[in-house]
Amino acid sequence: MKIKNLLKFRVLFLLFWIIISIIAINPKFNAEGIAIKGVEKNSTASLAGITYNTDLAPTKLERIVAINNNEVKNVKEYADLINKINNSEILRIKTDKNEYVMIKTDDIGISVAEYPTSNLRRGLDLQGGTRVVLQPEEKLTDEETINVIRTIESRLNVYGLSDIKIKQSKDLFGENYLVAEVAGASRQEVKDLISSQGKFEAKIGNETVFTGGKKDITFVCRDDGRCSGIRQCLQPESNLYSCQFEFAIKLSPEAAKKHAEVTGKLDVNLSATGGYLSKPLDLYLDDNLVDSLQISSDLKGRETSDIAISGPGLSSTRNDAIKDATKNMNKLQTVLITGSLPVKLNIVKIDTISPSLGKAFFNNAIWVIIGAMIAVSIVIFIRYRDLKISLPVILISSSEILIILGLASLIKYNLDLAAIAGILAAVGTGVDDQIVIADEILKGKKELVSSFKEKIKRAFFVIMVAWATGLASMLPLFWAGAGLLTGFALTTILGISIGVFITRPAFAAIVEALEEN
Amino acid sequence: MVNINEFYEKNYKKLIIISYSILLLSIIIIGISYFKTGEFFERDISLKGGVGVTIYNDKINIDEVKELLKQNFKDYNVRELTDLNTNQNIGVIIEVADINEVQLKDVLKTKFDINFNNKEEYDPGLTSSSFSQSFYKGLLIALLSSFIFMSIVVFISFRTFIPSLAVISAALTDILATLAIVNLFGIKLSAAGIIAFLLVIGYSIDTDILLTTRMLKRHDAPLLERMKSSMVTGLTMTFAAIAALMTGYFIALPLELKQIFLIISIALVFDIITTYFGNAGILIHYCKKKNIT
Repeated sequence: MKIKNLLKFRVLFLLFWIIISIIAINPKFNAEGIAIKGVEKNSTASLAGITYNTDLAPTKLERIVAINNNEVKNVKEYADLINKINNSEILRIKTDKNEYVMIKTDDIGISVAEYPTSNLRRGLDLQGGTRVVLQPEEKLTDEETINVIRTIESRLNVYGLSDIKIKQSKDLFGENYLVAEVAGASRQEVKDLISSQGKFEAKIGNETVFTGGKKDITFVCRDDGRCSGIRQCLQPESNLYSCQFEFAIKLSPEAAKKHAEVTGKLDVNLSATGGYLSKPLDLYLDDNLVDSLQISSDLKGRETSDIAISGPGLSSTRNDAIKDATKNMNKLQTVLITGSLPVKLNIVKIDTISPSLGKAFFNNAIWVIIGAMIAVSIVIFIRYRDLKISLPVILISSSEILIILGLASLIKYNLDLAAIAGILAAVGTGVDDQIVIADEILKGKKELVSSFKEKIKRAFFVIMVAWATGLASMLPLFWAGAGLLTGFALTTILGISIGVFITRPAFAAIVEALEEN
Repeated sequence: MVNINEFYEKNYKKLIIISYSILLLSIIIIGISYFKTGEFFERDISLKGGVGVTIYNDKINIDEVKELLKQNFKDYNVRELTDLNTNQNIGVIIEVADINEVQLKDVLKTKFDINFNNKEEYDPGLTSSSFSQSFYKGLLIALLSSFIFMSIVVFISFRTFIPSLAVISAALTDILATLAIVNLFGIKLSAAGIIAFLLVIGYSIDTDILLTTRMLKRHDAPLLERMKSSMVTGLTMTFAAIAALMTGYFIALPLELKQIFLIISIALVFDIITTYFGNAGILIHYCKKKNIT
């Protein structure tokens, strides 16, 4: 009777974890609509009140259900509907939470994705995106590192790329790295935004008047046609177009004072088109001259806070020149808003995986797991020819995978290829242990000398030693591998531990109960 | 059928010799490779690093790039660059080891019309050598520490010198023999490959622990019977694992996963020999000396 109670507890404990995992994964078999995956700062959408919270579980994301009362089921329908609406027409976005009304602009500033079918977060190589490993040129203190991470995050956020993860990592030789993973961004964008130090300086002669960041610049006009945009395009040569962007910024009082001080010392040159000061305002980004602006003579010595920043975009066609100018403008606006990084970062490794390849890998990973399970089941069945053993092995192994995935969802861990390898390794170890338990129980049945408790104790000595060695062999990965392999180590350790403490005791209980009958 | 007990009774010393000859042979093979190349095994570009360039030009055919690099360089890696929103091909990423950027440019020039001065079209800016080197060194240190940690756990668990050493040397043979095979077949190891060796440490000693526990700590049947029963269990474990790994090897698309599956499979085949020839032989010898029956 006592043993029976024990049996019940072990199996119930497993069931408890299975239920927790299903709730955590929250599979949706009828997921429809599209999810909001990012909102650009100060964009049309964000001004209309749409928000995005990175901490939300994937299946809790805000879901767009209709555009101007037309139902939206997938990303393509969404894109088609949005494109049909002309600029400055009214755009109504209906979500599962609210309805937002805005005036349509070129880019309303939200990024969307198919609604996730579960809370499982896919890592980069299973969904597509860019991963960059950066090495600071100088050693950073912890505080500086946090600053760098914040700046990079806000740069990407300004771009509407909220699906980002940046972490600090150290290798065994004391080198510091930053690993940034961005889903759904192109390599070039990420490279530009992350690795450029973004040191912006506006100089007159050799004197710096103001620099990028909140201290000197209180406002940057962005996505507002009245104070930011492409102003004019020229064709200086037959196969060269040059388009000029321009946007307004506001200087802080200190920066305005500095402006007055420096311009006060300059001479005025009068010409036919008007009066200009003797030296221009030179704009530098990472020590490269972006543009040289003539300063109107009436600004001499004045504390002005309104400044127009401009720069060019060049290409062989007009459209491409506009695109180039827009790109340069976005970059400049971003670094003016977020300021510069305290140190230059070098890219030491960059990987890009296309979403289609990511999806193919993800589907493939599922088949690999299923295939491996079938192979194991066949070997187990050939050996025991007894469903009372084979079935529990399959059930327990499946529940093990489920619980690993459930915990991964709970701790918001992104599953990548390495994690899949880790899961398979853990399940492999699990099957091994179950074979040990099954053989002990079957052997004990023949001998009838040792008690159930004794048999399990014997099996668990082997299992515990195997677990301890598995754990010991994974630990070094937490320090080595520049932080790229901690995911693998974590899933493997998680997997083998779930096995030892949750599923294995239940397996022993189930097989024992079945064999007793 | 040959009686296993009798066979082991007669031949266990020969079996020990077979198992340790494999260890010796592996060390020789790896040694030869080390003296020839200065490396214990060949690394692929993910562990070696090299010159990395990105060409943003949708007119460049990736197969032609591969062909060109194949003719000129030994160690390279070409990936397609696709636009993340439209999924269209927008260029290629090329990594080549052991050369400098100028050499790569010279080769690319012969076949493709690339404007090397336009940063929007040709982007060098990726030197991964030093990072890859330290990443690689880190992994080797991880592998070594894993092995040491595992050995400590084994010693603590069994608290007897010879049997613990037998378990550890079985794991060592599995690793080195697999590495020798990797050398012989000229397989280039990636980071995933080294991870596979970490997993081998965990996998290979499961059966050894089982064998040692049953032979040393149980007295419910005669010694050789206990060994036999542990063999039945252990072989089931190994075959189940090999079946799963080989299935994975044939189904998996990502090359990293394939390499992991292949390496553990090879190691598990060796593990059958090291566990049931080497380790079992030593345990029989040890038990006889210590009068464990």
